[in-house]
Amino acid sequence: MADSKKRTAHKLPEAGQWPDVLSPWVIVAGIILTTLGFLMAFFVVPPVSGATVNGAELVGDTVVSNKLLMSQKIFYFHMPVAITSFAALAFAAYYCVRFLITRELRFDTCARIAMEVALLFTVMTMITGEMWTRFEWGVWWTWDPRLTTYLILMLIVIAYIVLRNMVDDPIRRAAFASVVGVIAFIDVPICFMVTRLIPSSVHPVVTRAGGMTPEMGLCIALVGVGMMCVAFALYRARFRQVRFAERVDALKERLDD
Amino acid sequence: MSRTTDTPLKVERKHPSSFSQYKVLLTKDLLREVRTKEMLVSMGVYALLVIVVFGVALGFAAPGTDFLEVSGGLLWVMVVFTSLLGLNRSFSVEKECGCLEGLLLAPMDRGVIFLAKATSNLIFLLIVEVIAVPLFWLFFSSVALPAETAPLIALPLLVGSVGIAGVGTLLSTITTNVKGKDVMLALLFIPVVFPLLYACVAATVAVLVGGDVMAESFATPLALAALYDVVMILISWFLYDFVVS
Amino acid sequence: MNPVLEEIYSTIIPSAPYLIAAYALLWVALLVYILIIVRGQKRAEKQLELIEEDVKGRTL
Repeated sequence: MADSKKRTAHKLPEAGQWPDVLSPWVIVAGIILTTLGFLMAFFVVPPVSGATVNGAELVGDTVVSNKLLMSQKIFYFHMPVAITSFAALAFAAYYCVRFLITRELRFDTCARIAMEVALLFTVMTMITGEMWTRFEWGVWWTWDPRLTTYLILMLIVIAYIVLRNMVDDPIRRAAFASVVGVIAFIDVPICFMVTRLIPSSVHPVVTRAGGMTPEMGLCIALVGVGMMCVAFALYRARFRQVRFAERVDALKERLDD
Repeated sequence: MSRTTDTPLKVERKHPSSFSQYKVLLTKDLLREVRTKEMLVSMGVYALLVIVVFGVALGFAAPGTDFLEVSGGLLWVMVVFTSLLGLNRSFSVEKECGCLEGLLLAPMDRGVIFLAKATSNLIFLLIVEVIAVPLFWLFFSSVALPAETAPLIALPLLVGSVGIAGVGTLLSTITTNVKGKDVMLALLFIPVVFPLLYACVAATVAVLVGGDVMAESFATPLALAALYDVVMILISWFLYDFVVS
Repeated sequence: MNPVLEEIYSTIIPSAPYLIAAYALLWVALLVYILIIVRGQKRAEKQLELIEEDVKGRTL
């Protein structure tokens, strides 16, 4: 058993390898970065202007003649979380491909956990998106490109997880799941492209007027990197727990023989 | 084995080319369908029933030109659900006769099986569409009449059906051996096919409404749908090997 | 307060519940996942305990 492991050309991901050493630092970095980003979003970045107001007032040191929007602050977490969920999907697809190439079940485990993390962050995207949409546009849902693509992403990750529950044989399950994972990864950008490029007459493409100031960009980047760190730490933690459970189960089976 | 004759027997093993393998598999499926007409009849009747449900659904809406825009979408609802039915059945038939296992024992490239299956699914879907789409208009001609560009509806239908057949064949191969197969197929199929659906509905509505909607939003959706087809079918063809083993 | 200033800040209070809800729910989601990990770990540890006892029982 140990010999065959040594003979494999590549090392399998396992709990306790170098990413786990980094993990505590990464989570601390993640927490610091997201907190910094949060504070920056509220205290440093100037609020975005909404509808114009009759008259102008001096606020702080600028003349303001628009309504100041607080709800847009949600965006500083909404966008990074969305990017993180897609990054998690990319990792899942990577592990799916490695499974298909090597047929090592370990990669399938990695893919499953990456998909779980992707689902978590997609749910977070939907929550923040919902709250923002509800306030800004007064409705609970619009079929704009971003929200629609995220709905599809969520549905496909849920389908991946449901599929895994429906297949008993581990190798079959891994093969089917990996194929679905790869398809999911390819489908989501296509979905985004299609909804962006085809104008819908009833539901117009919602783009914010005015671009992003560098401060906004920095804030999003801060939170973005922070969220990715959090995602990575969660992935490693879950991976360690799952590997622990797997090894315990394997031990149990050996003892039962 | 010793031979008494001088000339050694040359045993020529002619490996059939991929294309002839493909033709054989395809004709097998088509012949079976011609004989039993099982799938075509059930898909056709299903499409008709969906139209009936639409009739009820729209029965209390005020008729007008808005119907044209909605009808493009409704047509595709019918196509999606009919194709889900067809995909489910085409593989359950294989399972019942154990044909798939037999096929896999033969040393042939898995991609050929995929192409043959996908083509037969496509042909069945197209036949049902040829019947169901005019039927749809028959039932709703009293509500609104489509613009003169309507016959161009064949284009989005064709492009969409190709994509549906390709992706659907891969996904239904996965789900035939899974618990809860029909639901699982729908769960996987609809998010994956969503971009194709979106583009095809946009193109179909443009065709039906005509005029300047046609000018601005027909070419782009159709091109995007074609792009989807090419990408997804290549991927499905490549991945089919891993799914069938 | 000056009516213009009032109008400038008019959207802040109505938007507050949504803003707070968004961030709060974000943290709830993260916590739920952490709880799932912790629960899985506890379960596996309990299994390990059972195995240890079993091994002890056998070697005796």
